[in-house]
Amino acid sequence: MALIELKDINKTYNNGQPLHVLKGINLGIERGEFVSIMGASGSGKSTLLNILGILDNYDTGTYHLDGKLIKDLTEKQAADYRNRMIGFVFQSFNLIGFKTALENVELPLYYQGVPRRKRQEMAMEYLEKMGLTPWAKHFPNEMSGGQKQRVAIARALITKPQIILADEPTGALDSKTSVEVMQLLKQLNQEDGITIIVVTHEGGVANETDKIIHIKDGIIGEIEENTRHTAWGGSIIK
Amino acid sequence: MRELFHEIASSIRQNKLRTALTGFAVSWGIFLLIALLGAGNGLMNSFSGNMEQYVSQTITVSGWRTSKPYAGYKENRNIQLDQRDLDYTEGPHWEGVIGNVSVATSSQSVKLTLEGRNVNGGMRGVMPDFQETEKLQMSAGRFLNQDDIKERRKVIIVSRSQAKELSPKDPDALIGQWINAGSVAFRVVGIYHTDEQDFRQTCPIPYSTYKGIYDHTDKIEDISFTVNGPSTLKEHQDFEESYTGALKRMHEIAPDDRRGIWVRNGYTENLQMSNASRILSIAMWILGLLTLVSGIVGVSNIMLITVKERTHEFGIRKAIGAKPHNILSLIIAESVTITALFGYAGMFLGMVACEVLDKTVGQRGVNIGFEEIHMLVNPSVGLDVALEATLLLIVAGTLAGIIPAWKAAKVKPIEALRAE
Repeated sequence: MALIELKDINKTYNNGQPLHVLKGINLGIERGEFVSIMGASGSGKSTLLNILGILDNYDTGTYHLDGKLIKDLTEKQAADYRNRMIGFVFQSFNLIGFKTALENVELPLYYQGVPRRKRQEMAMEYLEKMGLTPWAKHFPNEMSGGQKQRVAIARALITKPQIILADEPTGALDSKTSVEVMQLLKQLNQEDGITIIVVTHEGGVANETDKIIHIKDGIIGEIEENTRHTAWGGSIIK
Repeated sequence: MRELFHEIASSIRQNKLRTALTGFAVSWGIFLLIALLGAGNGLMNSFSGNMEQYVSQTITVSGWRTSKPYAGYKENRNIQLDQRDLDYTEGPHWEGVIGNVSVATSSQSVKLTLEGRNVNGGMRGVMPDFQETEKLQMSAGRFLNQDDIKERRKVIIVSRSQAKELSPKDPDALIGQWINAGSVAFRVVGIYHTDEQDFRQTCPIPYSTYKGIYDHTDKIEDISFTVNGPSTLKEHQDFEESYTGALKRMHEIAPDDRRGIWVRNGYTENLQMSNASRILSIAMWILGLLTLVSGIVGVSNIMLITVKERTHEFGIRKAIGAKPHNILSLIIAESVTITALFGYAGMFLGMVACEVLDKTVGQRGVNIGFEEIHMLVNPSVGLDVALEATLLLIVAGTLAGIIPAWKAAKVKPIEALRAE
């Protein structure tokens, strides 16, 4: 079985006017893949990512993550799965402002009950990997956007998750930093074999990935193999 | 734990003013609670201190003017106790219930003088076991004995406070000295103990001496005795009714006449006083708690705002694996910390206030004509109250935090992440 198996996923929002966002999504993502989900705003790509990240639930269909059926979980179970299997990278970094880089990175381990000393050791290790050792004691507002995103990536990696879900990871970065962040993700995929799913609306970002899944109006459209990185005319990040 | 405190500290640091304002409400509540309880204790201490000279563990009866005509007698008849009453009291009917029985004269006001110094006293002719029934502790010398009675000695016992007035430098040196009581000279043989706030002025002299000098009849003024049987207020009242009923029959007083026989029941007075002190204490607790409630509501309110402001942060925490109970305990711990921190400050200030009361009002006596009474005596709260208040603060903090914490724990991660 694939790492991620979606079968006929439907999701409707009922805020006054019912809004059918996902209309039967079927998708499989294998271990070690580096894929992007592309779509215009309102296409349902963020909803799909939230369901993949167990941040939101779906109405009908089935979602298997690493062989486990993700459905009707209690908040506690969901939190546990998120903590152990999924690493999140957000557009707006979502670091906690009153915690240092080091404290932000070690937080997922705190919720696993890892002892303080061990947590700090591991967090330093991952910060080093991101080239952020001198910044360990700095607060987020003392760092650049690229540095913040690398702290967030370190935080996503520290629990050794099955997948990294990146929601517009370059959305708040300039083009030079965007390239660096995408290179970093690519390197993590190639060297450590981590499955990475990037949600974006930028062709340049999608072109960095090996597979591009197009979503439109709540249905999966074309799935483009992009191992040669020639999508969008081989476009680079703007 | 350390992590938790670290988080609470940083959260409080971010909202200094707001936390301080909220904390003030809690401090104020606890401050009032402690100050009220302290003042209440002081009031009760002064009651019992001031009352001590009248209240002892004895029952005293004496004759009184009747208020109702009965058996051919008119009202306003003077009743005089006599040997029959004493025999009845000491007799077989109350064997095992009535303990020590003693006769005493009523108190006669005299001025005790020694070398130009003088002090008021209430002289009473008593029997030796008066010491037992009135629970007098001797601090120097001895109490009256049978020889004093037999030989009608002119000896007198004074209280320590009186001794201090007469012989300020060395009260004990008074023993063996002759002092004037009115126009008669008495030798001081004993001084009974009174503490700072105790202003008893009874001066016992031998019963026979009193009778010889001031009252040449063989009438019995007072009969005092201790009882062993009754323990509750109701039992004491029943005993009193049954006993005085018998006396009324002997003296042909109307059974429903509230006068005729005068009774001072030290047991029921003590019971009623401890009842009164309990009620006062409960009233103080209720007032203090009501004040504290407003403080708790304040903390709860502030925690609600905090939770709203931190929703996005909780969303991040949930996304990376915080379980609902992690968020719940974070908020409740913060609430308890704020409540406990400021509560303790309030408790400390309340205790300081009690000390200030003690040093000001507590030291000032109020003259009520024949003596000085102290309004507040040692107003303070004990360790037990401090512990109860601590427990109260923790409960209060938890209660204040529980609704906001529940709100925070319940919000969906996806909604929390969207919040700004």
